[in-house]
Amino acid sequence: MHSAKNDKNAKIMLYNFSVVKYNPIIKSNPTRERKVTVMKKMIAMILVLVMMLSLAACGGADSGSDLKNIQKKGKIVVGITDYAPMDYKDENGEWTGFDAEFAKLFAAELGVECEFYVIADWGKKFMELDTKQIDAVWNGMTITEEATSNSSVSDPYVINAQVVVMKADAVGNYADTAAMNGLTIAVENGSAGQDAANAIEGANVVALQDQAAALLEVKAGTADACVIDITMAYAMTGAGSDYADLAPGISLTEELYGVSFRKDSDLTAKFNEFMAGIKADGTLQALADKYNLTLAN
Amino acid sequence: MFIPVMQQLLAGFGETLKVFLLTLVFSIPLGLVVCFGSMSKWRPFRRLIGGRLGFLGKWMPIRMVTRTFVWIIRGSPLMLQLILVFYGPGLLFDLPAMSRFNATILAFSINYACYFSEIYRGGIESIPQGQYEAGQVLGMTRHQIFFKVVLLQVIKRITAPMGNEVITLVKDTSLARVIGIYELIWAGESFIKKGLLWPLFATGVFYLVFSGALTVLLNSFEKKLDYFRG
Amino acid sequence: MAVLEVKNLKKRFGELDVLKGVSFSLEKGQVLALIGSSGGGKSTLLRCLNFLETPDEGQILVNGKPLLSGSEEEIRKNRLHFGLVFQNFNLFPQYTVLENITLAPGLLKLDTPEAIRANALALLEKVGLSQKANAYPYQLSGGQQQRTAIARALALNPEILCFDEPTSALDPELTGEVLRVIRDLKTGGNTMIVVTHEMEFAKSVADVIIYMAEGVIEEAGTPEEVFDNPKSEKTRAFLRGTQERF
Repeated sequence: MHSAKNDKNAKIMLYNFSVVKYNPIIKSNPTRERKVTVMKKMIAMILVLVMMLSLAACGGADSGSDLKNIQKKGKIVVGITDYAPMDYKDENGEWTGFDAEFAKLFAAELGVECEFYVIADWGKKFMELDTKQIDAVWNGMTITEEATSNSSVSDPYVINAQVVVMKADAVGNYADTAAMNGLTIAVENGSAGQDAANAIEGANVVALQDQAAALLEVKAGTADACVIDITMAYAMTGAGSDYADLAPGISLTEELYGVSFRKDSDLTAKFNEFMAGIKADGTLQALADKYNLTLAN
Repeated sequence: MFIPVMQQLLAGFGETLKVFLLTLVFSIPLGLVVCFGSMSKWRPFRRLIGGRLGFLGKWMPIRMVTRTFVWIIRGSPLMLQLILVFYGPGLLFDLPAMSRFNATILAFSINYACYFSEIYRGGIESIPQGQYEAGQVLGMTRHQIFFKVVLLQVIKRITAPMGNEVITLVKDTSLARVIGIYELIWAGESFIKKGLLWPLFATGVFYLVFSGALTVLLNSFEKKLDYFRG
Repeated sequence: MAVLEVKNLKKRFGELDVLKGVSFSLEKGQVLALIGSSGGGKSTLLRCLNFLETPDEGQILVNGKPLLSGSEEEIRKNRLHFGLVFQNFNLFPQYTVLENITLAPGLLKLDTPEAIRANALALLEKVGLSQKANAYPYQLSGGQQQRTAIARALALNPEILCFDEPTSALDPELTGEVLRVIRDLKTGGNTMIVVTHEMEFAKSVADVIIYMAEGVIEEAGTPEEVFDNPKSEKTRAFLRGTQERF
């Protein structure tokens, strides 16, 4: 639809306000320009004027309310990447994961279909949003300065942190990383926890195969502490587990995940309201448990 | 990218080499001790033979204990033994752990000593009785018979199977990563999470070159013993 | 006085009586041939003399002195009165012919290394293997290996040299060279005990023949007495059997 091969197509294109507005290249294409007769150009211009007027009369659905716009087109386009456990393809090739399921719930709430759109270049995600290729960036996105200034970010829904886990009776002695100088700290090789542990001055960081092995080191006393994901830290330690004598201590890094909508979009408020609802009734917690995640408070 | 990756791989290879060499240094003599234990004919209750407790008379406790130990070590994965040696003291008895490296050398040495002991035993038992008797009638002591007559023949017979084990050890060193030894495979693998796959496969070149050099060495050793047959 | 006296030697393996009381004596310089079918106890007797087996009962006296089987050290000393040449030679494969001969004297420090070497070369000359001094056993024929083994046993100057079927493992054409060496040794005055199936050889070389069957000495005497006028029916049967073989 981006290339008009004949006049008829050109006309149809002109009906679509957004295409005209956001594809100035097409408009200024001289080859096309030549094909269009003066007569038809005028008709087109009239049509555009009529359309603009009618849109304004309807309350500016396209420019004003994302929500109405989406309901009108009958689908919400969710921008994702392949990023387990948030978004990934199941054995049938269908998108699933925490974010995928969450997005489908939201789409159902809006009464529209949920379409997934793979963002080819994560660095250009807000451009995709602005150009309306997608309606939301929803892919375990960390809420950053960049996100809040380029889009309308929802309330945080998932927390991800790297926490220090130690013997329960020792954890109280380490209120900050300065106290951890000289400790042997087990981490999963290549993990965010490894980076966090490497940042602790004077720590002897031992990289292991996975987070479970790091936890085992603390249990066996072969490491003083380990740095692992908060979800795992809370799921594996404490009463009733084999690691009952271990406890999570301070968090080294904390990340909150949020969903980005277009700037000033009314979807953000709608989403926050919806999320509060399914959080209250336990639906979201069940989903978080399914994918081993920790909800943000 | 190539140079820093190679530096990491070389560091990993250094660890691999240390584990390999120290394991051999300890396990080769330790294997002989284990071997003698498993061949021990000491029967503390031999006087009971013929009596009501005659069955006790044939009991050879050192042999039994040693062979049971060898069975356990050879019958269970080295990886499990590594985990047990390193984590076991802390998990089971709340004892302080030894260093990662020492635990690795200990587990590897015991494991390989048991394999070596069985190779030694096979070699020693394959020496004809006549060699011992010839030494005996020539007035040699047991010690002299073993070291002057039997040993070199045993060495010749076990060179090939020992070579196999030594080559296997080169590759087994990669197991040490379960307790956080930063050996060669571990070094290669750590690049996967940084988006580089080739370093892992490059480790294969290290192993091939090293085991190739060992093969040449072992072959030349075997050739040295080619001057006699038996 | 007899150089060797064996009194009532008994040996059993489990339920099997292999030696049921064997007694005989041997004068210095004499050659004794032990004959009899397999399983008659000949080899066991020889092994008892060399302390490869410990007799259950009985006495072994050399030059009138009883050899006590006691500590390992004593057994080792007792063994040195005897030499033993095996059926299968049992040379040490990793040593040259010369080294096979000098090894034990060197370890026992019987003499200086030079003297031991000179003696070994003389012995090789005696058994006709001077040219093979630096060969390894696998490079020798069976007969040459057995002659090396004889030289090896002689290097320790045993008072009594024992042969356990020295030609049984050899091809027929190689037995001659070994028997010739043994014959030469007799001429040299060596006291010897030979377990053998070579009846002609026994007849021509031995001073005394002992026929053993089922763990006892069935018949003993000079070759003429045993071969020409055997007293026992068993001996006659055995000798008939050996003749039929040829």
